Amino acid sequence: MCLSALNPNTRAIVPGAPKVQQTTELQRPLQIPIHPQLLTLRTSQPTLEHHGTGYDLTNSVFSPDGRNFQVEYAVKAVENGGTSIGIRCKDGVVLAVEKIITSKLLKAGANKRIATIDRHVGAVSSGLVPDGRHFVSRARDEAASWRSTYKTPITTKDLASRMGGYLQAYTLYSSVRPFGITAIVAGWDSELELPVDGQVGSGPSIGSGGKVEGMTFGGPGLYMIEPSGMYWGYYGAATGKGRQTAKAELEKLDLAALKLSLQDGVKEAAKIIYVAHADNKDKEFELEMTWISNLDGPTKGRHQEVPKDILEEAENLAKKYLEGEDDEETKDDDKPAEGDKMEE
Amino acid sequence: MEFGTSGMLNEDGIHVDMDRLKKGEVNLGTSIMAINFKDGVILGADSRTTTGAYIANRVTDKLTQVHDTIWCCRSGSAADTQAVADIVHYQLGMYATANNRPPTTQTAAAMFQELCYENKDRLSAGLIIAGWDERHGGQVYSIPLGGSLHKQSYAIGGSGSTYIYGYCDSNWREGMDEEAAVKFVKGALREAIKWDGSSGGVIRMVVLTQKGANRHLYLPDTDYAVRHQ
Amino acid sequence: MFRNNYDNDSVTFSPQGRIFQVEYASEAVKQGSVVVGIVSKTHAVLVALKRNAEELSSYQKKVIAIDEHLGLALAGLASDARVLSNFMKQQSLSSRLTYGRAIPVERLVSSIGDRAQTNTQHYGKRPYGVGLLVAGVDETGPHLFEFQPSGMTQEMAACAIGARSQMARTYLERNLEKFGACGREELVVHGLKALKESLAQDKELTVENCSVGVVGLGKGGKGLEGFKLFDGQEVKQWVDLVAEGAEEKEGEGEDEGMEVDS
Repeated sequence: MCLSALNPNTRAIVPGAPKVQQTTELQRPLQIPIHPQLLTLRTSQPTLEHHGTGYDLTNSVFSPDGRNFQVEYAVKAVENGGTSIGIRCKDGVVLAVEKIITSKLLKAGANKRIATIDRHVGAVSSGLVPDGRHFVSRARDEAASWRSTYKTPITTKDLASRMGGYLQAYTLYSSVRPFGITAIVAGWDSELELPVDGQVGSGPSIGSGGKVEGMTFGGPGLYMIEPSGMYWGYYGAATGKGRQTAKAELEKLDLAALKLSLQDGVKEAAKIIYVAHADNKDKEFELEMTWISNLDGPTKGRHQEVPKDILEEAENLAKKYLEGEDDEETKDDDKPAEGDKMEE
Repeated sequence: MEFGTSGMLNEDGIHVDMDRLKKGEVNLGTSIMAINFKDGVILGADSRTTTGAYIANRVTDKLTQVHDTIWCCRSGSAADTQAVADIVHYQLGMYATANNRPPTTQTAAAMFQELCYENKDRLSAGLIIAGWDERHGGQVYSIPLGGSLHKQSYAIGGSGSTYIYGYCDSNWREGMDEEAAVKFVKGALREAIKWDGSSGGVIRMVVLTQKGANRHLYLPDTDYAVRHQ
Repeated sequence: MFRNNYDNDSVTFSPQGRIFQVEYASEAVKQGSVVVGIVSKTHAVLVALKRNAEELSSYQKKVIAIDEHLGLALAGLASDARVLSNFMKQQSLSSRLTYGRAIPVERLVSSIGDRAQTNTQHYGKRPYGVGLLVAGVDETGPHLFEFQPSGMTQEMAACAIGARSQMARTYLERNLEKFGACGREELVVHGLKALKESLAQDKELTVENCSVGVVGLGKGGKGLEGFKLFDGQEVKQWVDLVAEGAEEKEGEGEDEGMEVDS
């Protein structure tokens, strides 16, 4: 509730907030005259932009209508970054990122952008790359600290919660700036019984008694964390420059049904990055993809790079799809959806 | 010497001083156990607390709740084990509220182990952790003196346990129903009480299943035959 | 006093999501004299142009050895580079102490990247005003990394930073395909040629104003040829090779080839 309150858009759905109070809450700031001290906070120079009230110069300061502009500007940094996506499949999770080649002199295939947080969790971000590294470093510390406290791997949800809290703290003080990234965290929480790290023995040979029948545990996890510290769970997540296109593509997949297999998810992810990049064609890019399967799958619950042959196959399909879509567009602009069925 | 020699090897290099209580410290000279059965776990204990030869308490409750369906059996120093159980009780409560889900027996075992291992030089605590949760069912963990962690089908502990290794070994069956399981625990503890001078009093049990925690009490007056409420 | 309201410190985003203080720090890198780095399958070299304050003064230090297996070249605030290089020396020494092995180049570069990032997110700190090229060899072979004030670190095949470095980069891009197969001598010569592209009109490469750092795999691709810094007369062999006269003789044919390429 605290986190969602940060986002002005979600105010209306904060549970327990009576309607009457809501209107007064929203109206009251408008009645308060702008505090003169805040205006001279940094500069007496009048600014021409509509932001130029002085309220957007410092982190942690609310504007009269209850916004933290510095957080909104941090989101702008995200919107300029390469597209990142994540897809939650029935038997695993995929992460993919569009790495814009900023120079021919970069070593091809190096400079990985998707990081392993713990053996079963990976993360990718769009926005300021060094901020992404800071995020990863903190996430690794959180995962390690969870392990040392509870002697068991952190769940994807708990990691997202911890990192949400961490990012939120960077919106609270004028002495720091918010993170210029939106991060996607993906993981596979073991579906089996969890031992305590370092325990000796394994209990009854016939297994423990009294388990509740028919319940399942663990499974895929996918969360996206924004500069405000707000985070949600997703079936399919996208951020960065091409997020709108990517989201449109993700919505076509009916991921909520949880029927998409990991193998197909990899192909869809590659396709989506290629489609999202099509709006930004003048720049070259590299596709980087990682995945985490269930314990019976190809990665055995670990976060790993998608093997080269599978990655190449997915990229070829994506390229073919784009060519097909171009033909389609010249023939009939109204039916782009047909194209994606053909590839299935 | 005023104090025990803190669990280190004796001069002979063979014998370990297990009696690490300070002079006059209250000891749970004890018989405790916990077992797996078909529907969950059962914890059992005698009720004698001694200060040397004096019985400081004849109806002690050595079965301590640390969360809804996670309990522990305490042996060793009464003060140390109470303190450790209190800390874990608090931590599990925090865990449940912070993460919006109940802790598993593993979580509790990990917390107990951390405390027992990190403070091994200062504590005299032999614990058995037993709990039930939806995902794992009933589980039994034993944390003996040094702070190691053992997952077991059943665990016995305290001074009285030395007398019932044979009994337990020959009577143990996996997957017993509740009636047989209660009978097994009671039989074992009766033997322990019979042979161990520092064990005695009533027999207490806690049955942990999907239905929650259920206490049993058996008095020596009826030779532990009747369950009292 | 300021260009806009958003460039006073490194904890303020502009409405476009930029951090001007960090961008200005990158400008400090462009004030420094140019340095070039190239990596091949067997070697990594650093080549630097040194400036002197006046005729009779000594020349700057542009290349610093960090450990046996790696070194760096700097462009920008030399004192910031000293802080970073001291930190790197500590890190690589501590790796040898703790793990009994040389620190992987990427790990070391990331560690200064993380440090630099911190300076861009906290009030009262300023971004480092220096860019680095780090060349080293580890278990996965020779590497070249670029470090920027923003905390960005990237592995490069070749790179040039500092004043007028665009000219050097153009040279590197044109000859990129050749570098992989180069031995140490050829690599140094390519580095000097790139450096030469970035020289001001009236300047030329001399034994006084050139520094060269070389690190690579040992003979036959086994073992290590430790990081070695060459200064003064030690660079004469290479400077002579790219000197005005020598250059033209061997240069022409190559130039034509390059035209066809592009």
